[in-house]
Amino acid sequence: MKKRTIITAGFAGLALGGCIQVKAPDKPIEINLNVKVQQEVVVRLQRDAQDLIQNNPELFPQ
Amino acid sequence: MTRKFLMIAASVAVALATGLIMASPARAQSGAVAAALSAGTVGEQADGYLGIAGSVSDAVRQEVESINIKRRAVYTDLAGKRGVTVQDVAAATGCQTLSSRVKPGQVYRIGAGAWQTKGAGPIALPGYCATAG
Repeated sequence: MKKRTIITAGFAGLALGGCIQVKAPDKPIEINLNVKVQQEVVVRLQRDAQDLIQNNPELFPQ
Repeated sequence: MTRKFLMIAASVAVALATGLIMASPARAQSGAVAAALSAGTVGEQADGYLGIAGSVSDAVRQEVESINIKRRAVYTDLAGKRGVTVQDVAAATGCQTLSSRVKPGQVYRIGAGAWQTKGAGPIALPGYCATAG
């Protein structure tokens, strides 16, 4: 739905302006996803980690 | 048919691997490490490994190293199965040990920080531990 709107808007722009100019920014675009990705991976692994501890009690003395 | 065979083969492989890990003679000295944990000279770290927090005997030090080597092997195994880094598995395990294994009075360390003694309340875990869901 939204996509179609965007596409329509794009064509409208084409029709009106003739062409779309995309200018590269001066500075490189930096997207830092490392922290987020690591968090998701670690959260996903919590269950596995629990099992790992239970299956190897000799490696996790208390 | 082939798929079923593959599944069976995989199960056997996992069973064998588990058997090998379980069979390793790791439980010999763990009593000494458990005592050191109670004494606060050895503690769990957020990185998923045991650390030396105080003065310990050579035997305890060696056992801690031995446990950490075995932990790394287990982490590496799981990391391979899940397609993640060993560090991620180790960190996830560290979240678990700090949240549910370390008892009040025992020591723990987060990152390169100082050793801390667990109080009555839960340990303030690193942000990446967030147990969402």
